[in-house]
Amino acid sequence: MDLQTSVHDLRGRMGRSYFVDEAVEQYLGGLQPAPGSCVTGLLAGQSSPQRDFVVLAVQTPYRESEGQPKASRGVSPLDDIDVEWVTEHAKQVSRMLPGGLCILGLFLVTPPELAKDAQNSLKRLIFAMEKYITKGRLWELSEEDVTDRVTLHICSKTKKTVCKTFDVKDPKSSAKPADWKYQTGVSSSWPMLTCSVEVDLLIPLTGSSSDNTDKCMKDGLGRWAKQIEAAYCLINGRQALDDSELISGQKKNLKTAHRQTLPARIFVSDEQSELDERSSALVRVCSGSIRVRGVVHCRAYIHNNKPKARHAAQAIKRDIINTVCSRVEMFLEDLLINEGSHKGLCSGQQALPRRVFAPMPISGLSVCDYMFPDESTADVAERLKEMLDCETPEEDIDTSLESKQLFSAVSGSETTDSHSDDSTKHATSEVQAENPKIQKASQYYAGVAVAAGIALLATATSLLYLNE
Amino acid sequence: MVLSEECDIIFRLKAILEFACQLDNPNGAQSQSTISKTFQDLQSKVSSKNIVFTVCNSPLLIWPNTGFQSSVESLTEASACGDILQYIESDDGGSKKSSKKREKKKSGPTVVNMKLLFEVTEPAGNEAPSLIQVSTQQHCVKMPLPLDCVLSVNTDESLSTVCTGLVKAINKQLADMEEVVLQYRKGSSFLVPQPFHFQLPEPAGLTTVIYSAGVPDSQLQAVREDLHRKFKLPSDRPYLRRANAFHFPDAAYKDGYLRNPHIHLNPPNLEDAKLYLVQGVYSYHHYMQDRVDDDGWGCAYRSLQTICSWFQQQGYVETAVPTHTQIQQALVDVGDKEPRFVGSRQWIGSIEVQVVLNQLLGVTSKIMFVSQGSELATKGRELANHFQTEGTPVMIGGGVLAHTILGVAWSETSGEIRFLILDPHYTGGEDLQTITDKGWCGWKGPEFWDQNAYYNLCLPQRPKII
Repeated sequence: MDLQTSVHDLRGRMGRSYFVDEAVEQYLGGLQPAPGSCVTGLLAGQSSPQRDFVVLAVQTPYRESEGQPKASRGVSPLDDIDVEWVTEHAKQVSRMLPGGLCILGLFLVTPPELAKDAQNSLKRLIFAMEKYITKGRLWELSEEDVTDRVTLHICSKTKKTVCKTFDVKDPKSSAKPADWKYQTGVSSSWPMLTCSVEVDLLIPLTGSSSDNTDKCMKDGLGRWAKQIEAAYCLINGRQALDDSELISGQKKNLKTAHRQTLPARIFVSDEQSELDERSSALVRVCSGSIRVRGVVHCRAYIHNNKPKARHAAQAIKRDIINTVCSRVEMFLEDLLINEGSHKGLCSGQQALPRRVFAPMPISGLSVCDYMFPDESTADVAERLKEMLDCETPEEDIDTSLESKQLFSAVSGSETTDSHSDDSTKHATSEVQAENPKIQKASQYYAGVAVAAGIALLATATSLLYLNE
Repeated sequence: MVLSEECDIIFRLKAILEFACQLDNPNGAQSQSTISKTFQDLQSKVSSKNIVFTVCNSPLLIWPNTGFQSSVESLTEASACGDILQYIESDDGGSKKSSKKREKKKSGPTVVNMKLLFEVTEPAGNEAPSLIQVSTQQHCVKMPLPLDCVLSVNTDESLSTVCTGLVKAINKQLADMEEVVLQYRKGSSFLVPQPFHFQLPEPAGLTTVIYSAGVPDSQLQAVREDLHRKFKLPSDRPYLRRANAFHFPDAAYKDGYLRNPHIHLNPPNLEDAKLYLVQGVYSYHHYMQDRVDDDGWGCAYRSLQTICSWFQQQGYVETAVPTHTQIQQALVDVGDKEPRFVGSRQWIGSIEVQVVLNQLLGVTSKIMFVSQGSELATKGRELANHFQTEGTPVMIGGGVLAHTILGVAWSETSGEIRFLILDPHYTGGEDLQTITDKGWCGWKGPEFWDQNAYYNLCLPQRPKII
């Protein structure tokens, strides 16, 4: 082996390869930063052990109440980058990505004179972002999960790009070079996994403080998440356990126009090992309970570079877990903003936000959003514009997958010995009568009074999940 | 243990279902109906279309409640249940059906292990997700119900019959568990109901009984008496103690001792002779086990341990097999030996064995004395009777050796006799092949005994308890 090939081999082995959709190239090329300023943004797609795919780029939304840009006071525009805002944007966008897709990294457009310092900024940002997004996540990374995140620096003058990766598992890691290649239709043939999942969790609440409620919710949801992670999975009727390929007998060059939809089926067992060794029941006095109930629609994409069945199963399972947790999180965040504490979590039934889907710009994949009961597709379209920087006609927003019809709840759960054993069943399709006004969730997305809102949000999310 | 000739396959379905309910007042009158309602909900759950049986180590999934569906096309409701075996991977990689019959002389029934799963996808409805909060103070009760159902069938029984049978068995088990839980509940203290399987004489066959965890066998006398009446079992020996639970052929013994090595032997070729063997299960105890180097002095101790293991496994005692030290201490406690006996390497004989069995296990024994080893050949009738009525292992000591007699082959007409001997002098590991090949467990003729020495035999008697 001559020196040249071996060096190339080494680099190839050391560096990751990013296959990037042309639509991203167009988007990045179209960015017009104000002279002397920087633009940050997110890169989203899917990682696999061999290679990575980027299907979406979105610049960080404009933050209104910025006041005087510090740059004009002689401070570098790089220091002007609002890390909190970038990471908050990343979190909001990651909630909008179906399973299999996640935030893979960040891009930063700077004028040529800042190119050198840009790398430091990118490193700071990427670690901060990863930390913020993964806080409170209820599933664990497996050994096979790729922990490299990509940083892309673009010079606003020459349009030259520098692509590097950082291993976010290791705070001391240094930047590694990576390949950035544009291709057409990177995700056009990616199969889509779907399923509708019935959720019915009863979470007892011990203690009365709001911290306790959060901990109980996290524990309860966490146990359910483990059940889902451990569940048996069939994809398109076949077992999804071993190393077998997801779609066997596939021809090499699959660029068909038609995207396969693969139904997934999930089977759980009730086994909870911490209960196994008991000889008596676990009895706790609870101040109440929370029941999360209903049918959620789930979706995941898997790349079509010989994907393994179990990676596909993992993607759809993570989507199931994420969608339930995101909604509960959003609901509680909303309550905090409106009511200031969990005293707002009143008895009775309240609707959780509903999941809707919309087409992602150009790539043909879909993104999702959550609609509170008092919202409309117009609100969703507004959020898509703000968070994903894309115009979506309202008729393209699919609200049909999850219904508005609430479960007819017996007041108090069915398995209590309170006197309301029998027919206090009331069919509720609107629950608003009972509840205080639930303000538009979109309020805290919008730019207005955002600084205060985000600060509250940051406190809320750190209250919700104990700091690791 | 007599296994039914008919049964080729045992289907065993296990699952842990969570029992969860909220009680406003655990001591109130309403709580019982809440508990019953919770069990009923569980019964509905297992009768619903969402449940799936999965066969362990195979890709097979069966939906029993949707007019029978299986994930393997060639298996339909009319298929013989024996056809399942070819889809099951046994531990050595081959399929169960094609695995070679190994040393097992008696091939028992094949066990097909299954688990219960619940589908959460393909929901019946499409209700919007919501959060329902209840703010009343309640006792929140959570308990695992360790379901374990068995069904013994022939290989040609149809799959749909098997599945229907299993669904019925789960429902029955839930109902039985409800009864036991309610019976032993005190306020908000619940005991976990645990299923035990027992191989009873026909027609009962393989039967499941639910006992409450934490309630010892000694407190369940009345329950067992009822069941003995119900199943027409003899009232003088235990069938339904926890130790009598059926040992599934595919389960290993966790303690590492060999069980009943004698079943792998060919009986001696003796004309007109009948076999009179030990009944039930014992463990093989011998020199050097448990990191005790008793080579040269411990043979009678080991024989005694084998006998103790028999009483434990037939359900007569719950105490563990005693160590050398515990045996010695017992002899000191009754005044048979001086305190310095403990920790020594002194031999013991049949009388000491009798004393210890009485002291530690409450078991009485008969002593048989023969003045000369050659006389043992004439003891065929007595030994045959012993194995027929008591069926316990016999310790024999004499000359300078102790052995365990597990049975005799005796011809009433010719008087010819062979002795099935378990030799405690073996110093190797638990290697069945070596033990049977080299005669550490084997049939011996009358010449095996020292013809001139005198021998004492200790014949333990079964206590008449259930």
